[in-house]
Amino acid sequence: MKSKMEISFISIAIFFTLILFLAVGSLFIIPSFQGFVDSILSEEMIEAFKLTLYTAAISSALVMLVAIPTAYSLSRYSFPLKTFIKIIIDLPMAFPEIVLGLALLMLFGNNLLGGYLEKFGIKIVFTVTGIIVAQFFVAFPFAVRILYSTFNYIDTRYEFVSRSLGYSEFETFRSITLPLSKDGIFASGVVTVARCIGAFIAVLFLGGGTFMKTETLPLTLYLNLSFGDVNMAITAGIVLVIISFIAIAVLEKYGKEKTI
Amino acid sequence: MKDFHLQKINLQVKEGDYHVLIGPTGSGKSVLLETIAGFYKPYNGHVLLEGRDITHLNPEERGVSIVYQDYVLFPHMNVFENIAYGLKKTNKSDESLLESKVYEMAEKLNIDHLLKRDTTTLSGGEKQRTAIARSLIVEPKLLLMDEPFSAVDVNTHAYLTTLIKNVIEEYQTTCIHVTHNFNDVYNLAEQVAVMKDGKILQQGTLHEVFSRPTHNFVADFVGVHNVFQGEIVGHDKSLLQIEIDPGIIIHSSDEFKYDSGDVMVAIRPENIIFSNEKFVSSVRNQLQGVVKDMFEVGHTVWIEVQVGNVRFRGVLTPNSCESLGIEREKEIYLSFKSLNVNLMECHDSYHSI
Repeated sequence: MKSKMEISFISIAIFFTLILFLAVGSLFIIPSFQGFVDSILSEEMIEAFKLTLYTAAISSALVMLVAIPTAYSLSRYSFPLKTFIKIIIDLPMAFPEIVLGLALLMLFGNNLLGGYLEKFGIKIVFTVTGIIVAQFFVAFPFAVRILYSTFNYIDTRYEFVSRSLGYSEFETFRSITLPLSKDGIFASGVVTVARCIGAFIAVLFLGGGTFMKTETLPLTLYLNLSFGDVNMAITAGIVLVIISFIAIAVLEKYGKEKTI
Repeated sequence: MKDFHLQKINLQVKEGDYHVLIGPTGSGKSVLLETIAGFYKPYNGHVLLEGRDITHLNPEERGVSIVYQDYVLFPHMNVFENIAYGLKKTNKSDESLLESKVYEMAEKLNIDHLLKRDTTTLSGGEKQRTAIARSLIVEPKLLLMDEPFSAVDVNTHAYLTTLIKNVIEEYQTTCIHVTHNFNDVYNLAEQVAVMKDGKILQQGTLHEVFSRPTHNFVADFVGVHNVFQGEIVGHDKSLLQIEIDPGIIIHSSDEFKYDSGDVMVAIRPENIIFSNEKFVSSVRNQLQGVVKDMFEVGHTVWIEVQVGNVRFRGVLTPNSCESLGIEREKEIYLSFKSLNVNLMECHDSYHSI
């Protein structure tokens, strides 16, 4: 016999998951097949797809490169302003991406950093570089979060033992800590890629959302929706959904292998 | 360490000695070991190894290995890779030498048949032997063992103790072994230190610490069961007379810095001789009492004898128990040498466990 609570809780879970599933599913039902094929083969879609993968690849790599040492130092070392830094890193997860986008635009715009960078020939606002910068800051906090708990979870005594056996701090990090945090690094990598691909408002603000130039897939969806090209918009949505599915499937398949 | 402090510890370990550090849980034994290994930097004080100040050396430069209670084997490596880990660092080029050394070490610890195994499939004893092999193979100047046998069952414990003893003797490794198990002390220790609340209360040879404890806590902890409070009431040549109960005076040949006042008296149960009649001998203490309780522990019989308001505990073999006809409420004489009556200051608080 299932208890009343069991039944009601399970019903709640099923009901709302079902609505979510229908919402995602409706994307696939609305467009005509021909419209879908036309849209997906359109020059705009292919360009957006390529640009999205290109920028996301670079920004994800950068995020991981920076997030690993950041998360490790937050987990292992004590230093001044550590709590403050942790709060700053967590902040973008709590406040809306639109605020992050605006903030980045202010920083890299003409007034503050942007002016100096331009003197060195680096243009960020309304360029592909801007997209990468935006994606970086959207995904970075999530990557640090996951890696932080990953490193926290690794018993420091593994590192102690390694060092007592003659390995330096960095050698220990390479031969013990990184291999042991393989799963966490993998998970944060997948989440980072997904966040980078899906980044929208920050990318719109910093990249400018110029047609065929700084147009990533979420922007294709948004721009076409505002022009009224529903087929293009929904197709972009479908492509994004498929990418997410792949990301989650990869995570499920390879992410937990070791814990068995 | 934030909330824990070691206090003025002076632990001296001679080269080649097997040093056992014993104390209750939370007494700072593990922190002390990790400080020696270099994982924590002391706020003040020094760690000296072979006369060299290593306080500011990195752990990897010290030549100090550590073995933990829960093994801490690298989960992403098999048994062979775990043992070879430290050696690989110093011995990169010669693969066959590495292999033969690992094999030799594994053979000594009887784990050579497990080398290909994943560490998660090992039993506790096998894991601990792997951990010890991993530490010993780099030939450390000092081997630290943090309660290495407390997670294994009793039989494995006995087996491991013998095995480890032999291997460590063979490699002539200096050891500091932390434990709260007295069997480890009896079976392994050459030197003993008793630790409590971040302080080392007493250190010395096994014999010194166990037969002449200098603190109440040590006496109680190492198992002197007869600890009484008394008052020094006089002396008879070199012997002090202590009254532990109205009318009950015992003699001690301990040299004590005071010759009056309150004192704690400790008599080890195995130093008490029981007899049915009084006898004339060099034994200075002879008391009459009544057997109140007796119980067998392993192949010994413990008896409790009431003398006045004081209860003494003694230990006998079942044979002598039988030949004396000991039973409850039987009158009996207790005799013990004044030499075996240890006196201790009683100003530190005495907590009986």
